[in-house]
Amino acid sequence: MKLVGGLFVVCVMVWLIVTFVDYPEIKNLPLYTFSTVSRIIVTLLISVAWGVSFGILAATNKWASITLTPFIDLLQSIPILGYFPMVVGFLFALGPLGVELSVIVLFFTSMAWSIFFGVLGAVRSIPVNVLEAARSFGLTGWKHVRHVILPAITPAVISAANLAWCDGWFFVIAAEYIQYKGMVVTPPLGGLGSLLARAAYEWRDLNIAVILLVYITFIVVYFNALTWHRLMEKVNAGTFKPVFSVGLSGVGKIGITRARRLLHFGRFHWPRAFSIAFQRLRKYTRIEKIIAVALAFSAVFFVLYTMLGRLPSLEAVRGGFSEPPAQELVQLPVLIALTMARLTVAYGISLLAALVLGVLAAEHKRIAAVLYPLYDVGQGVPILALFPVLFLGLNQLVGAPRLALEITCIVMLVLDMVWYMFLNVVSAVKNIPMEVREVGRLFGFKGLKRITHIVIPFILPSIATGSILSWGTGWNTIIYAEYMPSTDPETPPLSVPGLGSLLDKAGYEYGNTVLLVFLLGVMAMVVLSMEAFVWRRLLRKFEKYHVEV
Amino acid sequence: MPVLEVENVTKTFTMNRSKILVLDNVSFSVGEDEFVCIVGPSGCGKSTLLRIIAGLEKADSGRVLFHGQPITKPTQKITMVFQLFGLLPWKTALENVELPLEAAGLGKEESRKVAKEYLKMVGLEGFENAYPHDLSGGMKQRVGIARALALKPEVLLMDEPFSSLDELTAKTLRKLILDIWREPELPTNTFIMVSHNVEEAVFMADRVIVMSSRPGRVIGEVKIDIPRPRENHLRSPAYFNLVDKVVEILEKDAVTETKSLPLPVRPP
Repeated sequence: MKLVGGLFVVCVMVWLIVTFVDYPEIKNLPLYTFSTVSRIIVTLLISVAWGVSFGILAATNKWASITLTPFIDLLQSIPILGYFPMVVGFLFALGPLGVELSVIVLFFTSMAWSIFFGVLGAVRSIPVNVLEAARSFGLTGWKHVRHVILPAITPAVISAANLAWCDGWFFVIAAEYIQYKGMVVTPPLGGLGSLLARAAYEWRDLNIAVILLVYITFIVVYFNALTWHRLMEKVNAGTFKPVFSVGLSGVGKIGITRARRLLHFGRFHWPRAFSIAFQRLRKYTRIEKIIAVALAFSAVFFVLYTMLGRLPSLEAVRGGFSEPPAQELVQLPVLIALTMARLTVAYGISLLAALVLGVLAAEHKRIAAVLYPLYDVGQGVPILALFPVLFLGLNQLVGAPRLALEITCIVMLVLDMVWYMFLNVVSAVKNIPMEVREVGRLFGFKGLKRITHIVIPFILPSIATGSILSWGTGWNTIIYAEYMPSTDPETPPLSVPGLGSLLDKAGYEYGNTVLLVFLLGVMAMVVLSMEAFVWRRLLRKFEKYHVEV
Repeated sequence: MPVLEVENVTKTFTMNRSKILVLDNVSFSVGEDEFVCIVGPSGCGKSTLLRIIAGLEKADSGRVLFHGQPITKPTQKITMVFQLFGLLPWKTALENVELPLEAAGLGKEESRKVAKEYLKMVGLEGFENAYPHDLSGGMKQRVGIARALALKPEVLLMDEPFSSLDELTAKTLRKLILDIWREPELPTNTFIMVSHNVEEAVFMADRVIVMSSRPGRVIGEVKIDIPRPRENHLRSPAYFNLVDKVVEILEKDAVTETKSLPLPVRPP
């Protein structure tokens, strides 16, 4: 019934837009909607199939675990938008089908990893006694997978798939409006992302951009609430609670109890659990690390090989480093510092906002009642799609394009990062065990004392995981947000100086693959060393803060 | 004059939109220097009852009087030892004991002095700077006991304090608690303990209050008159008789409960 209502609203919106907006391309809105939605659904199905099979494989097979996990982890930690131009260059050779394929590849890279890690975490946290019981009753092979593993991980798969669905929409503009070597390529079947991008970049029409953004957001949020939430409730209700409602859960001792509560977390689901971050950061053996590095090298090698059609000779490399925008490499440390500064500012703002809102939401039920639905909607907004709209609006407001882009960049980062922080903080505050709360009340902790001695220390580990996740997504977004493409050959594309925009120039403007790979390597190094030196240490430090429940 | 009077306490919880009666008209009183154990099957609301006495929960109807005054919120005169210890993992053993003292308005130095004293009393000298993470279960519960006693309460509530410990550790801690109870120097003389272990209750208490489950009602009271120290009487007929008496009351209730269930069907 609700589905019909939602479809009806969509139809009315389509009709209104088509009737009252007089750009000829808008007439194709129904087709575009259909093609984008079906693209995302197809990719989602592929991602789920891939993620579930490889996730189970990596969780149950030792060799698969040693080889697959670090490799996928590496792929995940390199910002997707960074290596996209390379993939595109390769696939474009196949003609229109190649363009469609590359759109699906980008969607896939934004969806598959979280499903893989969700499945991995869920399989690993199936209680040992269940596995032993299954073994003692003679369940092996496919039967074991079918009757034990699959039912146990279903909730995790569903919540990971929901995340993937949101992530797919997040990238809708980047995927359907591809810039490559100075030209713009859109998929032959069109799409909502390319339409929105065109409205913002080419027509520079703020009104239509906003209308389209609202339209897209409605589709995402409505069907999110309708299908996914219901699906998740159903799965949680229908499974055998004490054992099988394990969600995207943590490793080892954080395990089941906590994950279960996280899944039953009020109205919202539990995306991208602690687990992923923990899993990634906790324990890699030295061998795993060596293998990861070796794999990374061979992956880069392979990509280079396919890109250039030959082994990267010294000449090619030298060529890459002498062609534009190589002259900007001199300023590389400054550019890195600038990008880091933007991320730090945005992180600071998100941390503060999430802390204040999270603690407020935890302490006052009324504020929570307002914040949670807001969170639900906000999470559904395809943030990258907001980029052109935001820029257009700000540019009209301040009049200086560069300043407008700088502000847009930071606002985008904040919008992107704050959800992860907020989610982690709120879920942590909600999970403060009854006993700890009672201790606080019984022994007279009030007001600020309560917050500093009980609430804040309890949520510190979640703040750390939230930070890891939000920095991860931040690195991804900044590649997009520092660079404003232009389709008009008269006006050069606009950018603010930074590592992200340099990468974009190398990739989109000049198609300089050598430099692109080099910059990606630099970025991956920065990301990984931050993980190693900052986040991993923080997590380890907070490990003992874990409250037994 | 009793220290604590529980008068007609009734409490319901709402779960999945249906109301569950947890405590039904519970009344009893506890005198000064008395050690009372509340025994009942799990789910009989005994922990809820303890939380109402502590002022952590409110009764739907009825009241709890402390020296004749109704309890409405937690007070330093009544403190609690938790089943899962309830220690703050980010604080050391010393800080865990110290913080409530500071919250109660004691100065920093004074708090530290008192906290050290009590940690020493429970046998944790030298472990002041250890985090809960690094302590064994028994040691954690010792910190919990020190924390509850350091505030010098009149009444100590214990919510199944030994049920998450192994039997040997529990035995040592039971003795520690009894020693503390009998220590005339300490102001804490009235102990109320919740347990589902009948032997433990008969071993420790002056009086055992037996509760039924769903809804929780007082269905019996057994006075334990075995002379103390009771270690020497653990094999005596008097001890076993009292244990049997409590178990009998519990089982009678269990029988009336199962009567309403269908008889088990024999498999063909």
